[in-house]
Amino acid sequence: MIKDESTLNVMIETVQKFVKERLIPFEEQCSENDEIPHEIIDEMRELGLFGLSIPEEYDGLGLTLEEEISVVLELCQASPIFRSVIGTNVGIGALGIVIDGTEEQKKKYLPKLAAGEIIGSFALTEPDAGSDAASLRTSAVKDGDHYVLNGTKRFITNAPEASVFTVFARTNPEIKGAGGISAFLVEKGTPGLSLGKNEKKMGQWGGHVCDVILDNCRVPASAIIGEKEGVGFKTAMRVLDKSRTHIAAVCVGAATRILDEALKYAVERKQFNKPIAEFQLIQAMLADSKSEIYAARSMVLETARKYDLKKNISTESSCSKLFASEMVCRVADRAVQILGGSGYIRDYAVERFYRDVRLFRLYEGTSQIQQLIIARNMIKEVS
Amino acid sequence: MKILVCIKQVPDMESRFKPAASGVWYDESDLAWRMNEYDEYAVEQAVQLREQLGEGCELTVLSIGPDRVGEAIKKALAMGCDRGVHVQDDAAATKDPWQIAAIIAAYAKDQGYDLIFTGMQSQDRGSAQVGVTVAEDLGYACATTLVGFAYDNGTVTAKRELEGGIKGVVKLTTPALVTCQLGLNVPRYPTLPNIMKAKKKEIQSIPVSELLKEEPLAATVSFHPPAKKGGGIVLEGEVGALVDQLMGILKEKTTVLR
Amino acid sequence: MKALLIGEYREGKLLESSYELFGFAQQLGAETALLLVGSDSQLPAFGGTLYLADANQCGEYNPDLHKQLVLDAVQKENPDYVVFLHSSYGWDLAPRVAAKLKVAQVSEAIGLTDGGFEVGCCNAKMRRTVKPTTAKAVITIQAGAFPGLQPGGTPQVQKITASVESNVSFSGYEPAEAKDVDLTRAEVIVTAGRGVGKKENVPVIAALAKALGGELGASRPVVDAGWVEHSHQVGTTGQTVSPKLYIACGVSGAIQHLAGMKKSDFIVAINKDKDAPIGEVADVLVVADVLQFVPALTAKM
Repeated sequence: MIKDESTLNVMIETVQKFVKERLIPFEEQCSENDEIPHEIIDEMRELGLFGLSIPEEYDGLGLTLEEEISVVLELCQASPIFRSVIGTNVGIGALGIVIDGTEEQKKKYLPKLAAGEIIGSFALTEPDAGSDAASLRTSAVKDGDHYVLNGTKRFITNAPEASVFTVFARTNPEIKGAGGISAFLVEKGTPGLSLGKNEKKMGQWGGHVCDVILDNCRVPASAIIGEKEGVGFKTAMRVLDKSRTHIAAVCVGAATRILDEALKYAVERKQFNKPIAEFQLIQAMLADSKSEIYAARSMVLETARKYDLKKNISTESSCSKLFASEMVCRVADRAVQILGGSGYIRDYAVERFYRDVRLFRLYEGTSQIQQLIIARNMIKEVS
Repeated sequence: MKILVCIKQVPDMESRFKPAASGVWYDESDLAWRMNEYDEYAVEQAVQLREQLGEGCELTVLSIGPDRVGEAIKKALAMGCDRGVHVQDDAAATKDPWQIAAIIAAYAKDQGYDLIFTGMQSQDRGSAQVGVTVAEDLGYACATTLVGFAYDNGTVTAKRELEGGIKGVVKLTTPALVTCQLGLNVPRYPTLPNIMKAKKKEIQSIPVSELLKEEPLAATVSFHPPAKKGGGIVLEGEVGALVDQLMGILKEKTTVLR
Repeated sequence: MKALLIGEYREGKLLESSYELFGFAQQLGAETALLLVGSDSQLPAFGGTLYLADANQCGEYNPDLHKQLVLDAVQKENPDYVVFLHSSYGWDLAPRVAAKLKVAQVSEAIGLTDGGFEVGCCNAKMRRTVKPTTAKAVITIQAGAFPGLQPGGTPQVQKITASVESNVSFSGYEPAEAKDVDLTRAEVIVTAGRGVGKKENVPVIAALAKALGGELGASRPVVDAGWVEHSHQVGTTGQTVSPKLYIACGVSGAIQHLAGMKKSDFIVAINKDKDAPIGEVADVLVVADVLQFVPALTAKM
C-alpha cells in the first residue's frame, strides 16, 4: 500500500542520490577495512534510514511494508552491508517491540531505535538451534521479580554495535517446543552479557556478526516483551514473516545492481570485434537475470501489499525469500560468468557481490526452511 | 520578510535524450526527474536565510509544469521551504524563457517578495534568462551567478563568479533577485522524516492560464543530437590492449613521450 | 542586416575573445557597429561605428547603467541583432536588454543553421535550433565557438553616456585564490572529472600527471566537491589551457569545461560513456573505467 505516491517518490530520489554519492563510492573501502566509517553511519542516521518501519507515534516514518520495500530496493543498489547497519532496527531488532511490546517498552526503545541512537539486535540462533529454532536451550529462570539468563547465541548480526538485544530464552523447561519460549529485551552492559569474537565471514565485510553470551545475566521481569511468558517464539515467527519479505527486497535490490554491472561490462567489452553483449549466449544470461529479477520484484511487492492489508503472509513471505535469495545468487553467478576472468578479480564489484549475496540463502531461515514452511502451510490448508 | 525560490524539474542528466515526435524537444517518456541542480543551491541558500531570519519569515517555493513537478516542490518543502506554489502547465516545456519569466512575474508581482532566488540556469535548456527577466519584469535589483551570499537588514552582499576565478562583489538593495551558481553552498539532503513532514505543508495550485498573458518571442524549431565531428578515434576493448594502443598513438602524434 | 556588437574591455584593451563577435557577425553576413566601455586613448582597430562610453565614468559593471548604454546605442544604430559574448558580463546583461526591448534572446549560440541559431542543451549532450520570432534579437555567443576576426581600420567614434539610479552597487573584486600551479604553462595536463568517483581516487590521476611530467587539472564538479583545489580548475571559471597533451579522465565535457581546454594540441578522453560530450573534442576517446585504465597507463610510463 502506498499512502502518498509523490512523497514516496521524493524519498526514493533522495535515497538514490545518497546511494550514488555517499555509499557506492565507499563500498570497496568499507569491505577492505571491514568497517563502515562513522561519518557514513552518521549520515544514514541524519537521513532517517533507521526509522523506516517504526510507527510515526514513536518518531519513526511509519512506512507501509510496500513503501519500506520501495526504499530498500534503492538502498540495496549499494553493498548490502549498508542495509545491514539499519537492517536490525528496521526489521528483526525492533519489530518484536513494535508487535508485542508494552506501551512502556515502546516508549523507551522505539524513538531511539528510529533515530538510530541505539542499534537493536535479534538473538535467536544458537550453536545447536539454527533452523530448528524452537529447540533453543538458552534458559531464563525466574528469581523473584527478575529472570536469570544462561546460554549462547550465535551469528548475531550487528551484535558488536547493538545497545539492546531481543534475546529468546526458555522460561518454561516443561514445554519443549515453541510454547516455552519468551523474548527478553537485554541491554548492553547488563552484568553477565558478553560478546564473542567477530566472525570472519565469506562476504559482507564491514557488517559484523558475533556470539552473544549470557552467563547468569539478571534482567527484570519487565524486560519480557509484552511482559507475558511463552509468546516469544510466536513473536519471533511474526517478526520473521515480515522481515523475510524485507530480505527478499534486499536480494532484488542487490540483483538489480549486479545485473547493471554485468550489462555495462557486456556492452563495453569487445571480443571478436564486437561488444560481447551482441553474442546470444551472453544475451541469454542477461535476459534470464532480468526476467528473474522482475519476477522476484513482483512477488516482493505483492506480498508487501498483502501484509499492508493485514493478511497472513507466512506462505508468500517464504516464497519471496526463497525465490529472491536463490535468484540473486544465480544472477551474481551469471554476472561473474559474463565478466569472465575479471569477475573473479577484486577490482570488480561483481566479485564482492558474489560473496556478499551467498548469505541471503542462509540467514533468516535457510532456503530449505522456507520450503518446509511453504509446504507445511500448503498441507495445512487441505487437511 | 517574504522570500520566493523558483525551481525547475529536469530529467536526470545521465539519461539518454531522444527527440520527441514534435522534433522540437526531448521525448519525456522513461526519464527520471530531478530538481535542476542549480536550483538545489538556490533552495539551500533560501533555506539558510530562512533559518537565519527565523520567525516572521516566510519562504515559498514555486515551480511550473505538469503534476510530476509536485515532487520537486515537495523536495524543496522537505529541505525547509514553508509553502509551495505549483503553476499547473502540461505544456511548460514548449514555452520560451520570456513566457516562463512572465508567469513567475505575474504570480510574484502582488506578493511583495523581498528576495527571490533562482538557479543560474536550467540543466536542460540552459538559457540563463529566466531569473534576470523576472527581475526586469518586476523592477527588482538583480545579480547573477552567485558563489557567495550574505543578507543583512535589506542589503544583499553577493559574490558573482567572473572569469578566471575572480569574483565581483556587489551590493543589492531589496527587493532583489539573485541567480545561484553551483558551489554556492552545500545543498542538504531532504531527510526522510522531513519529507514525511512536508506532506502537511500547503501546496497552492494555480492554472497557468490565470498567469500567462504573453506570446513567445522565440521558437525552437529543432532538437537533435550534435553532429559527430570526424577525426576522433574511439578505442574500446580490454584495458591492457587499450593502454598499448594509446601509448602507440601518443608516441606517434605527440612529442611528450620520449 | 546590422549587428551591434557589445565588446568587453579590461585594463585598457579590448578582450581577445571580443574578436569572436566579429567572426560571428561575418558568418551572419551583418554589418557591424561596436559598443565599448573603454577609453579614447586605446581604440580598437575597427573601421565601423564605435559607441564609446568612458571607462572612468561607467567602467565597473553596473547592470542598470550598462543596460542604458546598450539601449541608447540600439536606438541610434537600429540593429537587427545585439550580440554579446556568453560571459559573466554577457549572460548578466543580455536578458536585461532583451526584456527592455521585448525581443527574443538566444543564449550561447555555437553556430548558425538555416535561419536559426544552434545552441547546446541537456548538459551539452544535445542541440536545439532556435529562431527568434521578433524583428530584432539579442544573441550571446559561446566563447571559442566562432573564430576571432580582427577587422582593422579606424573607428568613427560616437560618445555615449548615461546615468541611472540603481539598487546595485559594485564594491570590488576578490582575486582568484593563490595558485600553487600555473596550468597555462603546463605542457601536459591530466584532468580529474566527476567520473573518478571520490576524493580518495584523485591521487590515481595525479600519479599519471606526475609520470608524464605534467600538472593535475580538475573539472568544476571535482573542485566544488572539495576533491581538488580551485587553482587546478580548467574551464571558463577556472583556467583556459592549451597544453601539448590534455588527458581528461572521467570528465563528461560540460560546455564550460570544453571552452577551457579544446584548443589543446592533442586531447585524450578516458570515459565509460561513449556518448559523453568530451568525445566531441577528443582526438582519442578511450572507452574504459578510469580507475582501471589510468593506473595501467601510468605503469607503462
